[in-house]
Amino acid sequence: MTLATSPLPATSAQVCTRTVMDGSDPDIRFDADGVCNYWHEYQAFAATLPDAAAKQARLDTLLAAVRADGKGKPYDCVIGLSGGVDSSYVTWLAKQWDLRPLIVHFDNGWNNELAVRNIENICKKLDFELHTFVMDWDEFRDLQRAYFKASVVDIEVPTDHMISGALYRLAAKYNLKYILSGLNHATEWLMPPSWNYAKFDLVNLKSIHRTFGEKPLRKLPALGVWQRAWYQLVRGIHSEAVLDLVDFDKAKAKELLIRELDWVDYGGKHYESLFTRFYQGYILPRKFGVDKRKAHLSNLILSGQATRDEALRELQQPTYDAAMQERDKAYVRKKLGFSEAEFEELLVRPNQRHEIYGTDQKQREFYFRVIGTAGKILRTVGLKR
Amino acid sequence: MRRIRVIPVLTIDRDARLVKTVGFGKRTYIGDPINAVRIFNTKMVDEILLLDIDASTDGRGPNFDAIGDIVEEAFLPMGYGGGIRSVDDAARLFALGLEKVVLSTEAFADPGLVTAIADRFGSQAVAVSLPYGRKLIGGEQVLTRSGKQRTGQAPVAAAQAMAAAGAGEIIVYSIDRDGKWTGFDLPTVSAVAAAVAIPVVACGGAAGLDDFLPAIRDGGASAVAASSLFVYRAPKQGVLISYPDEADLRDRLFAKLDA
Repeated sequence: MTLATSPLPATSAQVCTRTVMDGSDPDIRFDADGVCNYWHEYQAFAATLPDAAAKQARLDTLLAAVRADGKGKPYDCVIGLSGGVDSSYVTWLAKQWDLRPLIVHFDNGWNNELAVRNIENICKKLDFELHTFVMDWDEFRDLQRAYFKASVVDIEVPTDHMISGALYRLAAKYNLKYILSGLNHATEWLMPPSWNYAKFDLVNLKSIHRTFGEKPLRKLPALGVWQRAWYQLVRGIHSEAVLDLVDFDKAKAKELLIRELDWVDYGGKHYESLFTRFYQGYILPRKFGVDKRKAHLSNLILSGQATRDEALRELQQPTYDAAMQERDKAYVRKKLGFSEAEFEELLVRPNQRHEIYGTDQKQREFYFRVIGTAGKILRTVGLKR
Repeated sequence: MRRIRVIPVLTIDRDARLVKTVGFGKRTYIGDPINAVRIFNTKMVDEILLLDIDASTDGRGPNFDAIGDIVEEAFLPMGYGGGIRSVDDAARLFALGLEKVVLSTEAFADPGLVTAIADRFGSQAVAVSLPYGRKLIGGEQVLTRSGKQRTGQAPVAAAQAMAAAGAGEIIVYSIDRDGKWTGFDLPTVSAVAAAVAIPVVACGGAAGLDDFLPAIRDGGASAVAASSLFVYRAPKQGVLISYPDEADLRDRLFAKLDA
């Protein structure tokens, strides 16, 4: 479908008439009816989704493969557990499916008590062993400090990158081929390109750290193009978005977790980490003019899990309690080792695009050229169809 | 209903990194102490003990900056031990917000330090930790400097001497059981508790809530302390801060003390 561009420039005042996305996203476009591009894109995307029977068939195939891979091993897959809804629900599903997952919790020094309590309850009730990947806090702090100094939008890259790196590393260590992830399109399909950055761009990460970091990074689990190629092509490790293969309804999932696992709701999306809460609820809106709730709520509208009115009402509320924001700010500053003046300066420093620090684009292009050439050769000599 | 203190012990190394030892030997890095204390604080624990296990061996004083950052997260009584060599050191620690100092190596080198701190701040503010191990032949002895230096003193005699010097509390810390999840060393806890009139804290080996009751009821301890139990999900499992909730403590510990 072709999208008519609105005659009006996108301003934050213009709100999509179907979702709650608005002009605070510089890339948003509206059609003549004031409907944003995301709504149209989602309709096109939704049309490609498999129906219930096809999803079930895919799930059955996947579970059979996971069980087969786990034969004779102490575990059959890896699950990263943060204590939030998505990963907690995946863990619950794994029990229903009779899987034997290696449950990995990633400790980057920002856990809050609720997350820790949820993890404890889940492991206790489901009788799963817990494995914790403890980040070296000194190195991780140095990397987070570098992202603050770089003044780029996605200060969560270090966490997201290293979680994935840790999961692949552990899958390889235990010789497992499947990572079950909580990523899903029902709640996480929509994210404006300028509101976050490519999580696996190790070139960008290293360059930001080289420019602003102070300590060598030796212990963090990197996951750039080559590491991923190694894990995925050589070791055959796949990350599977299992929530896309079931009916994932966030509100229902929460109810179930509360009922079955004594799970405690912590409020906003990804607020299980104090850092994420402060980043999404304070830094993004104040420094970057980004309120991620608009994308999260719009996503729920698109997948039929919230109404637009509910979303608009929710957006009237502050991102979170103002007094708590101030407490979090003091804590984040202290933990990262910034003085008050330094931190205030970082919060008003001009924002920069990630790309100015370099990207892994060339690596990726080279990688795909090699893959393409290798494929051609194999086809020529008849080893591959 | 009688309540007793159930105390998480956190150990930090020379770089103020949170570590957990087994038998005072092999160390595992388990994260950032600031966040750990913050979580314990939210869980409303009775009291926390923070021990710098490298200070005496390194021959240096407490890392005041790091301790200050950690103590700031605790709105609960907190004790600190490691490298305290003078009344001034203790004064600085109290100024940071600590309720109690824990002496060990220096208390044996100079019992007068215990007296001096007790005289100035009260004996409730000074505890003495008695890390002890089994001797090759016969009995046990207190081993200071993170278990590296023999004192030649048995725990009971040492406890009596420290109580006489003015200590307000004795921590009976079994090195052999540290990090092993085998339960407290009840005979030694009982012997020390019977020998002194001041509170005795049992430490080293707790594997679960069920180990606490015998230490109090049969061992005569007034409080129990543990570390692995509160920083690991279970033996051989991942790092996860935990603490029994009030109902658990009430039903499985306090209520039984009355019975």
